[in-house]
Amino acid sequence: MDAAEAWRHVGEVFEGMALGGHRRQVRAVAVELEDLFLLMCYMDLMGLPNPGALFLLDVYPYLIEEFHLWHRRMGMDRSPLATFSCC
Amino acid sequence: MRHLLDRHILFFGGKGGVGKTTSAAAFSLAASRAGRRVLLVSTDPAHSTSDVFEAGIGPVEREILPGLWGLELDAAREARRYVDEAKARMSGLFGPAVLAEAARQIELTASMPGVADLAIFDRMSDLVLSRAGAYDLVAFDTAPTGHALQMLRMPDRLSAWVAALAARRRQGLEAAALASPASARGERPADPVLGILEARQARLEALRRELARGERVAFVLVLIPERLPIEESVRAAHDLAEAGIAMGGLVVNRVLPAEASGAYYEARKAQERVYLEEIARRMPSAPRATVPQLESDVHGIAGLERVAACLLAESAPRG
Repeated sequence: MDAAEAWRHVGEVFEGMALGGHRRQVRAVAVELEDLFLLMCYMDLMGLPNPGALFLLDVYPYLIEEFHLWHRRMGMDRSPLATFSCC
Repeated sequence: MRHLLDRHILFFGGKGGVGKTTSAAAFSLAASRAGRRVLLVSTDPAHSTSDVFEAGIGPVEREILPGLWGLELDAAREARRYVDEAKARMSGLFGPAVLAEAARQIELTASMPGVADLAIFDRMSDLVLSRAGAYDLVAFDTAPTGHALQMLRMPDRLSAWVAALAARRRQGLEAAALASPASARGERPADPVLGILEARQARLEALRRELARGERVAFVLVLIPERLPIEESVRAAHDLAEAGIAMGGLVVNRVLPAEASGAYYEARKAQERVYLEEIARRMPSAPRATVPQLESDVHGIAGLERVAACLLAESAPRG
C-alpha cells in the first residue's frame, strides 16, 4: 500500500464516520433529484409545455434507462405511458 | 444607413407589408456592390426574395449576383434536418433497442408545434456563429417583427431552461456520488447528459454574446408613416434595447414624394407630416433613411438600385 492509497483509506474512514448513518438519506435525496430531472425532461409527456424538449432530442436515449428505473422504483412493472415503452 | 455597411450581421424587421424584403434586398445589393461578400437570408415563411430579384433562390445558399448570395429557409426542411441530425448524432452510441425507442420519442416530440421555429432558430444560430465567417455580411429578412424579436430572445429563454436542467443534473450526480462509497468515486465516467446540456448552453451563450456585439450586429426597423407600424416600431425599439441588441436605424418607407400634388395628395401629405414628426419625436436617436413611394412596385435590379440609393443617402439622426 503506497502513501496515496493509505490516505484514501484514512479519508474513507473519516467520511464513513461523518456520513455513514446518513448514506441512506443521501441516496434518497439523490433519487429525488434524479426524478426531478426526469420530470423536467419529460414535462411534455405529462401534458405540460416543455420549452427545451426539442432542444434535447439527443439527450433522450440516455434517459430511457433512467426512466425505466424510475417506473420500477415507483412500483410500476411496465411503463405507465403509452407513448413511452422502455420495456 | 451608410454606417451599417461595415456590420457583419443585420436583421431587417417590421410589420407585414412595410417593405422589409425590399429594404433588406436593396441594402444587400448595395453592400455587395461596395465589394462585400453578402448572404441575404429570408426567414419569412412567405418568401419573396426570389420575386424581388426575379431569380430562383431556394433553401440552399446560392449566388444570385456577383458577391451576393441568397438563401430562403424552408421551415419544414429545416425541421427534418434538425431531427435527422439528432438521430445521426446518437446512432452508434446505443444499442438497436434503445435507438428504436429514442427514434420514436424524437419523432413524437418533433410532431409538436414549435419544432419549425426551433429548427429555424438553430439554423440562424449556425449562420450567425459558424457561417458568418464565409461572408462579410449576413443580412436577415425576418418574419414580421413580433416573431423576429421572439426569435432573438430565444437564446435567453432557452439558456435559462437549459441552465436549470444542467444544475439539476449536476446536483443529482453529486448526491449520487456522495451516496456511494468514496472508493467507487473517481473512476466515474463523465455524464454524457450533462455534457450535452453544457455544450448546448455554451452555444446559446456564444450566440447571446455575439448578438450583443453592437459593433457587429444591428437590427433595422422598417416602417411606413402610419399609426400601427409606428406603434409597433416603438415597441420593437424598446424590446431591442431590453434584449441588448443594437438598433441600426429606421427605414421609413413609402413616403409620398414632394411632387405629388392635387387636393387628395395634399391631404395625405398633411397627415403624413404628423406621422413623420411623431417618428422623429418618439425614436429621436435612431438613424433614419427615407424611401419615397415609387411610381411602381420594386422589382428587379433597377428598382432595388433606386431604393439602395435612398438607404445610403446621408441623413442626420435628428431633424
